[in-house]
Amino acid sequence: MNSHSAAILVGFLLCAGAILIAMCLIASTTHDTTEPQSVVQPKGYRLRRGWLWALAAVAIVAFGISLAGFPYGKPAEADGPHFKVFAYQYGFQMPPRIPVNTAVVFDVTSRDVNHGFGIYDPTNHLMSQVQAMPGYVNHLAVTFTAKGHYTVRCLEYCGIAHAAMQEGFDVQ
Amino acid sequence: MTDATTAFPDRRARNVMWAYITTGIAIFGLMVLVGLGMRAEQAQWLNYGPGLFYSLMTLHGAGMITSMVLCGMGGLWYLMNRERAMDPGIAWTAYAFMTIGVVCVIASVWPGGFGASWTFLYPLPFVGATWPSWATGAFLIGLALIMFGWTVWCTQLLGCVLRAYGGLRGATGWDLVFHHARFEASGKAEPPPYAFAALVTAVDGLLAAAGGMLVGIALIVHWLYPGVAIDPLWAKNLTYFFGHTFANLTIYMAIGLVYYALPKYADREWHTSAVLAVAWWGTLLFVAIAYFHHLYMDFAQPQAVQYVGEVASYLAAFPPAVVTIFGGALLVYRSRLRWTMGSMFMYAGLIGWLIGGIGALIDATVPINVSLHNTLWVPAHFHTYLLEGVALFILGWVFWNLETHSGLTSSLRTRWLTGAGIFGGGGILLLGWYVAGADSVPRRYAAEPAPGPDIAAWASIGAVILVIGLIICCVEAIRLAKSPRTETNP
Repeated sequence: MNSHSAAILVGFLLCAGAILIAMCLIASTTHDTTEPQSVVQPKGYRLRRGWLWALAAVAIVAFGISLAGFPYGKPAEADGPHFKVFAYQYGFQMPPRIPVNTAVVFDVTSRDVNHGFGIYDPTNHLMSQVQAMPGYVNHLAVTFTAKGHYTVRCLEYCGIAHAAMQEGFDVQ
Repeated sequence: MTDATTAFPDRRARNVMWAYITTGIAIFGLMVLVGLGMRAEQAQWLNYGPGLFYSLMTLHGAGMITSMVLCGMGGLWYLMNRERAMDPGIAWTAYAFMTIGVVCVIASVWPGGFGASWTFLYPLPFVGATWPSWATGAFLIGLALIMFGWTVWCTQLLGCVLRAYGGLRGATGWDLVFHHARFEASGKAEPPPYAFAALVTAVDGLLAAAGGMLVGIALIVHWLYPGVAIDPLWAKNLTYFFGHTFANLTIYMAIGLVYYALPKYADREWHTSAVLAVAWWGTLLFVAIAYFHHLYMDFAQPQAVQYVGEVASYLAAFPPAVVTIFGGALLVYRSRLRWTMGSMFMYAGLIGWLIGGIGALIDATVPINVSLHNTLWVPAHFHTYLLEGVALFILGWVFWNLETHSGLTSSLRTRWLTGAGIFGGGGILLLGWYVAGADSVPRRYAAEPAPGPDIAAWASIGAVILVIGLIICCVEAIRLAKSPRTETNP
């Protein structure tokens, strides 16, 4: 697991843990001195306003940051070569070698059913992907900054040999 | 405990509810075992091969969602029937269509061997199939029958909601929000919170059914006349619009039951406020348009809808997080809540919903989705809010009725054993998917690349513990159901 994925997992687990602790603490108050709903509710509603604004702030910041990572406009900006990729049951037809440190574009389509074109780096981490759909060409821009052997796996269920559908290429 | 059954003396309505719920729970139990069998195959404990694995995967996906839908339908119909009586005959008709549909789907898988996944993305059911053509037809017709039954039920429910509260204006709480003083002065009662769940389920449910029927009929036409071509992107949009909405509505149906029962345990009220009404308006909209996040990796989609997908996914989280789950926690805080199996399940379900929602929001963020899409992170988050959310709400509702019916509660030891099994075992099972997903292990693989099998092994241990918890829970439910009724109950 690379540092990016580890950060996502740890961040999620910290949030889950905080929620679990908070909800358990709330549940434990049923054993303490109870208060009428008319007393608890106004205080709770004031807290809810703060909770709403805090969540809104997180959502706005997350959306703003995420915009820079949207992959859709990148193929048009890429100045490197285009490589055709054909997915089929159960393999990929694609070039065996890709240049390093170049913004290349994969033009991905399918000859039969829906497939996924998932690129795994030499450490077996999923670094990028796009769907391969019959009748459509999806353009995926990728810049490989490290040389090595990369694996492509199908990431859309496509039939009985789905799990065996993979191909490799070298970045050099 | 004397409330529920004394308040609901209509035996015919109870029969409708229990028929839906017991059918749903029976399917749920079967699907849990199917799921365990799939995880055991991925752990290499079993070796029955990809053909059967993908058939079971198809059955598990379609069956699990249908089971939760059936349970939610029974409970919500029962509650809304109190507000305005409905014809049980129509509910039985819907039930009949759905159960026949379930039988068709099961037959398509066994003996048919259909294995194109519940998503049946066109043209997969027809290309490279390892199953006979009739199995494809049985699956599609089965889904169409389920959709038809669902449509009948939604239509009846929508009619009930609109008649009970004076049309759409009353049912949506429009005057409560925009003409509050006049509404107060009119002396009208606002719809109860579960009526908003019923309204949103009925409206979004009908929209989802329309999408599902459209793509389903197109596929049936293609099955009969293979020369008729379908646009794969069009089919994919409709499939996910239907599938996402249908699956997502299970939690909004189930929360309607919590709105009713949790306050009874806490001896407090969950009343309708303007904030609650507005929150449900948001849910009505966002549930219907959030499905675009399933197509983030389809770059051929118009770019605008990818932005809509992320925004709608984020906004869909606000009503539950700020209103319903927060409201549930506030309801419990410093209350005289009686901890029973029912209240434990309902409260724990709120936690599962929130945690699963965070997992979903992470995946709904486009740049992160690039490395999580169709990895095991996806089953991780949807199992969190389905298994530790929807299913717990349903179990909570079942126990609320059984406890009320019998006047009994479960021992502390039984509650601990059940909790340890369902929450502890479930937690281990879920953690396996999250860790594997973050580590890029693909989903829907009969044989996973490393480290998938090792993670699947300890996740399977969690699944076994979960099953033990569910068995204890089931035995306890039967004990309560068999106990004599209290004098106060009919």
